[in-house]
Amino acid sequence: MRVINTRFNLKYDNVDEYGFMRPENFDYERYEKFMSSYLVILVNRSKKWDKLMKKGKRLQRGLVLKRYVKKGIPSSYRAQVWMKISGANELQIHQESDLYNTRLNSVLDSDVVQAIRTDLPRTFPDNIYFIPLEGSQEQLYRILFAYAADNKNVGYCQGLNYIAGLLLLVTKDEEISFWLLKVLVDNILPDYYSRKMTGLMIDIEVFARLTKSKMPDLYRHVKSLNIPWSLLIMKWFVCLYAEVFPTETVLRIWDCLFYEHSPILFKVGITLINYFRKTLLGCDNFTSFIEVFKKMPLDIFVLDCHYFMKRVNSENKSITNALLQKLRKEIKSEKKNYELNQLP
Amino acid sequence: MSAPPYSYSYIFKYIIIGDMGVGKSCLLHQFTEKKFMSDCPHTIGVEFGTRIIEVCGQQIKLQIWDTAGQERFRAVTRSYYRGAAGALMVYDTTRRSTYNHLSSWLTDTRNLTNSSTVIFLIGNKSDLKDQRDVAYEEAKQFADENGLMFVEASAKTGDNVEEAFVETAKKIFQRIQDGRLDLNATESGVQHKPSQPGRTTLTDQSPKNTCTC
Ligand SMILES: Nc1nc2c(ncn2[C@@H]2O[C@H](COP(=O)(O)OP(=O)(O)OP(=O)(O)O)[C@@H](O)[C@H]2O)c(=O)[nH]1
Ligand SMILES: [Mg+2]
Repeated sequence: MRVINTRFNLKYDNVDEYGFMRPENFDYERYEKFMSSYLVILVNRSKKWDKLMKKGKRLQRGLVLKRYVKKGIPSSYRAQVWMKISGANELQIHQESDLYNTRLNSVLDSDVVQAIRTDLPRTFPDNIYFIPLEGSQEQLYRILFAYAADNKNVGYCQGLNYIAGLLLLVTKDEEISFWLLKVLVDNILPDYYSRKMTGLMIDIEVFARLTKSKMPDLYRHVKSLNIPWSLLIMKWFVCLYAEVFPTETVLRIWDCLFYEHSPILFKVGITLINYFRKTLLGCDNFTSFIEVFKKMPLDIFVLDCHYFMKRVNSENKSITNALLQKLRKEIKSEKKNYELNQLP
Repeated sequence: MSAPPYSYSYIFKYIIIGDMGVGKSCLLHQFTEKKFMSDCPHTIGVEFGTRIIEVCGQQIKLQIWDTAGQERFRAVTRSYYRGAAGALMVYDTTRRSTYNHLSSWLTDTRNLTNSSTVIFLIGNKSDLKDQRDVAYEEAKQFADENGLMFVEASAKTGDNVEEAFVETAKKIFQRIQDGRLDLNATESGVQHKPSQPGRTTLTDQSPKNTCTC
């Protein structure tokens, strides 16, 4: 028997539950097949989370919470749980109480404002909430403005629009979105978005090295085709898989990102590439390799977020924060004498 | 899916550069798909497109690198300039600031490519006539002073888009024939792929194919 709760009534529609129009060639049949089993899982997880949340909202870090997070946070709890496990609540307590509104009233360089404005109509134009005058666009503008004012070192970086936009669609709350964006960029991720993007370049190199150790044949193949890693994976890291993967999969990734930080970003990419390893090895020229690579995120393997995340979390246990720190440090000291923009 | 060994005899590498939102990705899309993509997502880092065109009787595969316009992404995109045979430098005819930044894009291009790289200036969004913010004559003068080829184009209507990509290729091809572009130089941005084994090397056939374009 299939359980359908009202949130999913849209599922036969051409718009998903977060307001995204489904692509023209969307495979409804396969999606429905996946959804009918996923819905059962969701209902199940929901019940478990209900109990956990009732027990006391303290959400202690530990094995139980970690397991729960890996299996997905129900969308009704996401805003609240993300705030808690990411440390955003904590951050908020230690800042002035009305930081968001203070930042909204600050003055910003016209360049920054212009850049944000340029990207607004280009943020999720395929989402019904982001149609001009639908309200979300102005909210997104304010979130990006406030963050740019809060962190002048970053200001506005393209890509943050997708992250903030998706946060807004999930939390439906401007201020919460601001805090989650802030905790992500300020605390959780290395220096990805500042003017030099040093942390991003380093992490792209870290990813390349992880590939080299886990899939040496593929690494060599990429090298022999002369394909820069930044062409392949930069968008994944800048957008944290938003605007690359199907929405539900991105949110499942973010569940983990807020809890365990960077490792999940690497695990996801490695798992995906590994799954397509043979196909990729069979691409004997630059263009065909890139074509296959770009299509990977649209595969049913990724759409089936529950199975995908299971694979992601079970296959890559060796990728830990400690390992990433070690690799980042190595790369930094190796490249100290070089321009980092020679990377990778 | 794989075509016979080589359905083209040259590969030219292009880069498209210019401020964010000037329409670089739309120009590329119009050129490769012959369609205007009004909802084009902005480019994060670098994207890539190809198309095979015919120039002076030669099949030429264009490998086109479309870069992100935001200043900070230049840390990454700069590494893609190397070995470009053609650079399409784009500004938005309805936004003067994007025109004012051209000199910095030009400096980057000159510093990071080689002297034989063909630079083509495109004033995009020419369809938005009543929003014009940069006069044709002014941009034309800038182009002449700096030895650039130049058109105003529209990724929306397709006006002059084909021309910009093709004229660039013709010019590159001309430079190969003149000997100004050395095919053997490692970073010329051009690869020669003889389409029938044993036949063509360029010098064998250049007289017949001398391009008047
Ligand atoms: N009217 C009109 N609009 C255009 C034209 N070309 C692009 N646009 C619009 O301009 C916006 C930006 O176009 P893009 O191609 O994404 O710009 P870009 O230069 O690639 O921007 P970045 O990737 O951020 O560097 C889009 O909303 C397009 O719809 C044109 O020729 N005419
Ligand atoms: Mg673009």
